[in-house]
Formats: sequence, C-alpha cells, structure tokens
Amino acid sequence: MKRAEALEAIKGLVDQEFVVTTAGGATAEWQAIHPSDANLQVKTLGLCSSIGLGLALGQPDRKVIVLDGDGALWMNMSSLGTIGWKQPRHLVHICMDNGQYESSGGTPTVTSARMNFAALARAAGIESAVEVSTPQDFAAAVEHALRVDGPHFIWCRIEPGRADVPPFPYDELENKYRFARFVEQTTGKRIFQQPMPHSYERSLQRPNEAGH
Amino acid sequence: MATAEAAQRFIGGLKEAGVDFVVAVPDINLLELMKALAADRDIEYTPVGREEEGIGVCTGGILTGHRSAILMQNGGFLNSCNGLTTTALQFGIPILLLIYYAGDWGDNAFHMLGLVTEPVLQALDIKYRVLRDPNTLAQQIRGAVTVAEASKRPVALLVTRAVL
Repeated sequence: MKRAEALEAIKGLVDQEFVVTTAGGATAEWQAIHPSDANLQVKTLGLCSSIGLGLALGQPDRKVIVLDGDGALWMNMSSLGTIGWKQPRHLVHICMDNGQYESSGGTPTVTSARMNFAALARAAGIESAVEVSTPQDFAAAVEHALRVDGPHFIWCRIEPGRADVPPFPYDELENKYRFARFVEQTTGKRIFQQPMPHSYERSLQRPNEAGH
Repeated sequence: MATAEAAQRFIGGLKEAGVDFVVAVPDINLLELMKALAADRDIEYTPVGREEEGIGVCTGGILTGHRSAILMQNGGFLNSCNGLTTTALQFGIPILLLIYYAGDWGDNAFHMLGLVTEPVLQALDIKYRVLRDPNTLAQQIRGAVTVAEASKRPVALLVTRAVL
C-alpha cells in the first residue's frame, strides 16, 4: 500500500476534523485528496505530533488527526510520552511509516530495523495503539478512532513512493490564517484579531512605558 | 532561592496578561513556579520532555485561541531553536518564551549558556527583556504579550533569580 492509497481510503471519514501533516509527501497528498482549510502543514521535522497535541488540548471538543512520518516521529519520540501523560481523548495520531527519509533521499529510518512504534506508543500510555498495512484495516482503524475516545495511535505500514500531485498551495502564513479562520468559524473563538491601535486610545496606559 | 510567594506573583502576572496555556521543562530555579502552575486550575499546563516539543504544543494552543507560553532554561531555549525558526518564526506564531537565565551575571554555573543566550536571541530577531525587578514583572509580561501579538512573533523574557 502506498501512502496515497491509504489516504484515499480515509478521505470519506474526515469532515471538520483538524488535520496536521508532517513535513514531507503527506502534506501535498492529503491536500490533493481532501482539500480543506482545516489542513495544517508542518515545516519542522518531528513537530507534527506536538502541534496536534496542542490543538487537541486547546480545543478539546474537536477531533485532531496527525499524519506523522517515521523519521519525524523518531526525531520527536518524547511527544509519545507527553501524549500518554496528557491523554487527549480526541487525538488520532497516525504514523505513515515507509521505513525511510523519503524527502531526504531515501536513507533508512529506525523502523527499517526492529523498532515497533505501536508497542512504543502503548508503553508510553496510549492504550489504543494498532498496526495496519492494508487500506481496509487502516480505514477501519481510523473510523474506530474517530468514533471512540482515545488518544489513539495508528502505525500504518506503507511502501515508499510519492503520488503525482501538485505542491501544497499555500505558504506558511496563508496556511496559518486560513486554518485560524476555520477554527474561528467553527468554534466561535477569535484568533489573530487586530486590536485598536494604542495611539487611538484616549487614556494611554501602555504596558511597556516604565519597563525599560 | 525561589519562593512560593514569588511563584504566585509570577502566575498572577501571566493571568493578568491573559496567558492560559503553558508548557514547561524543569530547571531547579523554576521549581516553585512549575509546582504552582501544575496546581493551577485556570491554566492548561503541559510538562514536555524536550523544549522543541513545547514550541509545537504552544503553536497548537495559539491556533485554537489561547495565549501560550513556554517555560524553560536557556539550555532548553537553544534546544528549541529549529522549532522556533521553522515553526514559530516561519508561520508567525506569537509564543511567549519565559527563559531562565542560567549563567547570568554573578552565576557560577553554565557560564557558556550565559555567554550565548542574548546573541542567539538577537540572531533570531526575537525581541527580549531581562526581568530583574519583581515590581515591574506583571507590566513586563503584559508588554511582551502585546509585542508578540502585534508582531506575530515569539518574544522572550529572560527570567533571573531576582524575580523568582
């Protein structure tokens, strides 16, 4: 199973969920398969799971899907421990594992040897941790994870190979604002709002005046 | 030595500035503050294993409408530099960085950290102030949050023993 086949298998399951995608092929492929302002790209290798955890803690009533990679998860394995500690019930952490650093030329990662990420997640306190390797099993695992409280970890074993899709259409800033406006519209919260400039205010009590 | 009273004053300053989401990695000098944060019911508090992880968690907090801060030592600040650069700065995320200033003037430990901390902040174009006066602590935290949100960038406060 290639990554794009796996993502095709779950696209019908995803609606208003936030989807955070790791630096690598997952970002462009997911956006091509399921375009949405709820898609957030990640540019720091490894931080996908941590940003997803922050979203899940910050908006606990919303499902958050993390599309992580094996090289990325290896780089930020401590995030499994933090997720196991905090137990965010709406976090669905998926590791698309092709056993290699695909975006960096294909050298092997730790999962090409003996690493078992599902066992690791379970040991970190994420009780719902499964391994899948077919589109049917993957879709069933995601359907379950979206229906039942977690946190969930899905170790999805895939073959290497990128799909022929366009690049992700937004730079970091446009992606951020689109995502934040999506959060605003679907939660009623206010994010990145512009305040009245202090120079317009009659009584000037600027926070920094005596702070030099 | 850090006191519980100072920790409450610090948390009061954070709350007054609207900070409601904090992640942290320990330093002995931050002990009282971390204990108080863990016990506080109004602040979503997450201890993380590594500081760069915390930059990610704070980013998620901000994108869901929270004012977020990370509490760490300056060694940890160095540990978080890639996350700060390719997430916080590249996406424009206003995280409040509360950095314990090890190797500060008069400190006999971590002298190398003390030497490089401010130059690294300057190299990253992160605005910062050094907190030395407990009486202006709340005001400085408010100012840092205002600048972070206006500029959509992380802003740092270097926390010294004088305010802990």
